[in-house]
Amino acid sequence: MKYMILTHASQQDYDAMAGKPGDRSVWSADDFAAMVAFMRAFNSELAESGELVETRGLGAPAHARRIQPGEGAHVVTDGPYAESQEVLAGYWIVECESFDRATEIAARLSSCPGPAAVRARASADVRPIEEHVPDRET
Amino acid sequence: MAPAPSIEDLLRRMAPEVLGAVVRRYGHFDLAEDAVQEALLTASRQWSPGAIPESPRGWLITVASRRLIDLLRADASRREREHAAAQWALVEQPVAPAELHVTGSDDTLILLFMCAHPALSLSSQIALTLRAVGGLTTAEIARAFLVPEATISRRITRAKQTVTASHVPFRVPPADERQERLKAVQHALYLIFNEGYVATSGQNLHRVELTAEAIRLTRLLHRLIQQDVEVAGLLALMLLTDARRAARAAPDGALIPMARQDRGLWDERLITEGVALVTEAMRRGPVGPYQLQAAIAALHDESRDLEGTDWPQIHALYEVLLELDENPVVRLNHAVALAMVDGPRAGLEALSELEADPRIAGDHRLHAVRGHLLEMAGEKAEARESYLTAAKQATSLAQQRYLNGQAALLVS
Repeated sequence: MKYMILTHASQQDYDAMAGKPGDRSVWSADDFAAMVAFMRAFNSELAESGELVETRGLGAPAHARRIQPGEGAHVVTDGPYAESQEVLAGYWIVECESFDRATEIAARLSSCPGPAAVRARASADVRPIEEHVPDRET
Repeated sequence: MAPAPSIEDLLRRMAPEVLGAVVRRYGHFDLAEDAVQEALLTASRQWSPGAIPESPRGWLITVASRRLIDLLRADASRREREHAAAQWALVEQPVAPAELHVTGSDDTLILLFMCAHPALSLSSQIALTLRAVGGLTTAEIARAFLVPEATISRRITRAKQTVTASHVPFRVPPADERQERLKAVQHALYLIFNEGYVATSGQNLHRVELTAEAIRLTRLLHRLIQQDVEVAGLLALMLLTDARRAARAAPDGALIPMARQDRGLWDERLITEGVALVTEAMRRGPVGPYQLQAAIAALHDESRDLEGTDWPQIHALYEVLLELDENPVVRLNHAVALAMVDGPRAGLEALSELEADPRIAGDHRLHAVRGHLLEMAGEKAEARESYLTAAKQATSLAQQRYLNGQAALLVS
């Protein structure tokens, strides 16, 4: 079975991680280095065990575009989110034997290092991926 | 002394020669490529350092040919099932006498041209080149580009079908197409190198070193067509860029601009080789964009510090490059060189022309350079604004942290 692990963050969280000056909870170089090292180890262990299908981090919500149907033509909105709104920040797709195993993997993310204020609000969701693969010749 | 090549190195070196030999004999590029991959896999399982067949190439060709025949038979019986009247026979294509003298190197060159087939998208050209000539597995290519294996697998399958359907004969393209096709080959290799060089986070320990692979394949191409000075220029450019790699990122992954790199970490051996290559190529001429970029990289690599850099010479080379290749990134670099020669105001003036160019107006690099030149000019507040804008437009965290860091240093 495949599961998707999702993490969320707001534009403010992104700014803090990008070291934007003036932000109260800016990540220091050490904070950042510890996080990168953790993620590297986490991802390579998952790749090693064969459970990682794919993982990506998403760009800041300020770069998002929203497309909606409008009168006659569709409407494109740049940066549709409020500064403090939490949106999808990154995901892992894992293929593993059970929901519990996927949960166990996601739970390890809770030991990702970071500033205390960030850790206090951090969470990860796990959701099963629907797999309707049409019959086909292999 | 270099360590003895591993079995894996040996297999990857032979991959294109074996594929060439099989395609030359039987045609069926797409199935032949599958068969060769399977033969390579079998060899990597069965061979060990003390037990390599006497003629590894012959062994691989035999195993791949057998496998191809199996694949063709399976294909034929499927067709028979589908069309009762299908007539099919496995016939070896006659080999023209002249072709009996071809070497593995000729075949490798033909394969490189085939992989850069004009009917293929750039991403397909790259994937196919890495597999058919580079001998990488689909899984390795997928990991290198951080995309699912199924994506690369489909991309390669479609690419092979396109090449097969185009019925290009298995030989070097005719003289009138050759130069165009060679450009496509070089471009694909350049993109492979760049992909590896730009990837900063390196999340995956298994990530095949794309820069190393691009250099290996470009060396191969250079060996095959020594007389082409642009191929020599491309190889030199890769070596001279890769030479700075160890100095380019801090342990936490943060980017270090050239001005602040520890030049002691630059690879002398690569610099010496790259400089020799580009010097010789430019002496022979005619000059081209890869040689010019390599020459610029060489001037950077050869100077002991930023101040000692031969900026007038770099500026002059960018002027020539702009004449051959009018592109906004070149203009941006040209503006920096101009600022180093005639001062930041001259550079800023050149930038203001670029700001109207939609190809780069929204690019973080434009604002980063603007910030840098404003800082040189002592305009702290404006420089800070430019760095912040650049950080907002950058998409990689490493770039954002660098640019925000520059802005933070300018708090007055």
